[in-house]
Amino acid sequence: MILHKRLMICAASAGLMAGMMPASAAPWVRGYVVGQYEYAFRYGGRPDFTRGAEIEPGVDCPHGASVHFANDTQTKIAVGRQKYRSRQEVEWIAKPPGLDEVRAPVLTRFWLWARAVAYRGYKRDIETYVNPWAAEDPGQPQVTSRIGDGFNLDGKVKASDFISPDGEKGIDNNLYRAWGCDAPWRGNGNATLDLRANDKMQDGLYTMVIRVSGNKDPMNDDNATLEIGYSPDKIVKDARGGIAVDYSYRMLQSAQYTRLKAKIRNGVVETEQVEHLHSPRIAWFYDQTGDANFSKGKIRLNMSADGLTATGLIGGYRDWRELYTENTFAQDGAQQGIREHEDHVALYYALRRNADGMLNPKTGKNDGISSVYRIKAASAYVVDPENLAMEVPKLPLDEKRMQAFLAIKANTINGAETRVPQLVPPGTTEFGVGITEGLMNGLPSADFFMSTLYRQHYAGEDEDGYPEWMQEYKKHPEGGFQPKKPKKPAATPPAAQPAKPQNQVQNGDKQIANAKP
Amino acid sequence: MKRGIAIATIGAGLLLAAPIASLAQAPAAPTEPGPQTPPMVPPAKPGVFTATKKGPTGYHLVVTGHNFTSREAIEHYLAYRAAILTQEQKSSWFTLTENHAKGDTVPATKPDPAGLRYSFRMAYWRPVWRYKTAGSPAWKTWSPFSGTPFPITDPKSVSDYEASADIVLHKGQMNDADPLAYEAGAVDDWLVNQVSPPT
Repeated sequence: MILHKRLMICAASAGLMAGMMPASAAPWVRGYVVGQYEYAFRYGGRPDFTRGAEIEPGVDCPHGASVHFANDTQTKIAVGRQKYRSRQEVEWIAKPPGLDEVRAPVLTRFWLWARAVAYRGYKRDIETYVNPWAAEDPGQPQVTSRIGDGFNLDGKVKASDFISPDGEKGIDNNLYRAWGCDAPWRGNGNATLDLRANDKMQDGLYTMVIRVSGNKDPMNDDNATLEIGYSPDKIVKDARGGIAVDYSYRMLQSAQYTRLKAKIRNGVVETEQVEHLHSPRIAWFYDQTGDANFSKGKIRLNMSADGLTATGLIGGYRDWRELYTENTFAQDGAQQGIREHEDHVALYYALRRNADGMLNPKTGKNDGISSVYRIKAASAYVVDPENLAMEVPKLPLDEKRMQAFLAIKANTINGAETRVPQLVPPGTTEFGVGITEGLMNGLPSADFFMSTLYRQHYAGEDEDGYPEWMQEYKKHPEGGFQPKKPKKPAATPPAAQPAKPQNQVQNGDKQIANAKP
Repeated sequence: MKRGIAIATIGAGLLLAAPIASLAQAPAAPTEPGPQTPPMVPPAKPGVFTATKKGPTGYHLVVTGHNFTSREAIEHYLAYRAAILTQEQKSSWFTLTENHAKGDTVPATKPDPAGLRYSFRMAYWRPVWRYKTAGSPAWKTWSPFSGTPFPITDPKSVSDYEASADIVLHKGQMNDADPLAYEAGAVDDWLVNQVSPPT
């Protein structure tokens, strides 16, 4: 609160300077704190849709949103593509025999599926989420509508471009085309990951601020400046859970900061297009946070006349491999995929084939995909920190997880570039390491799954298959670990099982060398 | 019932989400992902693969061999070569041209603009075959659209074979609604570690 007051005084002086001047030909400043930040996807279903069904069709997505892993039929399709799996394996993964025998059947099936879908490469021992290029494309529903939000980033009007709701042609927003039907990002303000990301941002994961300034009229100024950046100050909410207005936030001139020239007409701020537009990323975990780094980026902001709110778009080309890793490894690919009914392999290929910018002269391929994010902001005092060199603060407790994220991101990009399958580095929950094992106790078909479903092993795992970084999780009441019980008879007669699972790969035949946590 | 399970699964996942992320902490030790030598498909012997220009952007591709391994292995090698040729010609994707004949019972593959989109669908990569059996000088043909099963059941009985496909190269944004469209880079990446030239 002391900080707040100090900042208020500092900002108030700037505010007084701006506010008490005549409306024209005077320095002015308007500040905003972003309260909603999400992909600029246009929902095409019924306006009154409130999750009445998971696959609501619309003009954006004729068959609705993605349904990957939504039920046993979908999971069976996903694991049925790998020819090394026996028919029994596919059937049993989809409907694990004896599931009613375990303490938490839904949880057990969830993590059994996670183990299975994490290995869908052309060979049984290739982890899929770190090596998506090594799995067949499962297919992704894509946006077929011609209407899309965004900017004409390349200055061209192409047949494949969107038309803005205002009628502007040549809109580049291929991220919308690629991912706009993906279940957790599609909705009428209720997409699950939109809600989650905004919730985390509003709860203090990160803060994004914007400051617009000029010397004429805030609503009409042809020589304005827009700054965007990260704030170390947590968002202040009002009594109704909304974003409280007119609080003070410091804006760091860090790696997530950009200053752009802008023109304002009738309250609409249009910035110049810059080679690199740095701003915070969309994130719902600390490990995803960082610089979005839009290439050829620009911003459009609609400021309300009363200065209380602003809405807008921020766009440019983003490295599509970074988008893939940010969306996949916040937790782990299988966990998010099964929960959200999305398949990151399909999302990987959708990004790749829709990449339309950042041409790499070495490879001749596009490293970037046109991307547009939507922002809604509330009035705030945006001030400079006392220490202008202040960097984005780190969260020590989550820093190890951040390092694991960076390691798996590096492996993923390295694998995609070299086409050498990569291992999963320590520190992640990929393929439900330990978790799946912990939930198998009591499942009559556990032996079959544990000997058939491959997974990478790490040095120093305990007898239950938990590596060191999962020990705390194992102790957690929701960790799913169930002490071993005496074995019950198998769910089906032994004769129904193959004497030796076909194409079996022995667990433990690949370990990460020197992987001491 | 299915919907009930799905909802329950989501619930379980959401419950788990926070604890896992916050408790799963570990130092990111350097990993040893094994040899980093980029994969390389051995060069084919002369005559094994031919590409004949057919129209402004079309090619007729043929893979020839004597030692039949499997239908999939040979067809995948042909797809790989199609992907390489496409990239060599500075194109980014190709389409397979299905050559249907009178009497075929398998319907032509049609695009589904409202359906799922793909970078490649190997299920629709269906080359045409010719083969000779030991002791017989005459070529026999087989079309995947004929409706008859693949005829080679005993690999040892085959002395010569050919798998062929007609493709058209394309640049720019891929028509991913076309099940016969293949993104060359994606096909190359997926197959480079799997294929080798037939002998």
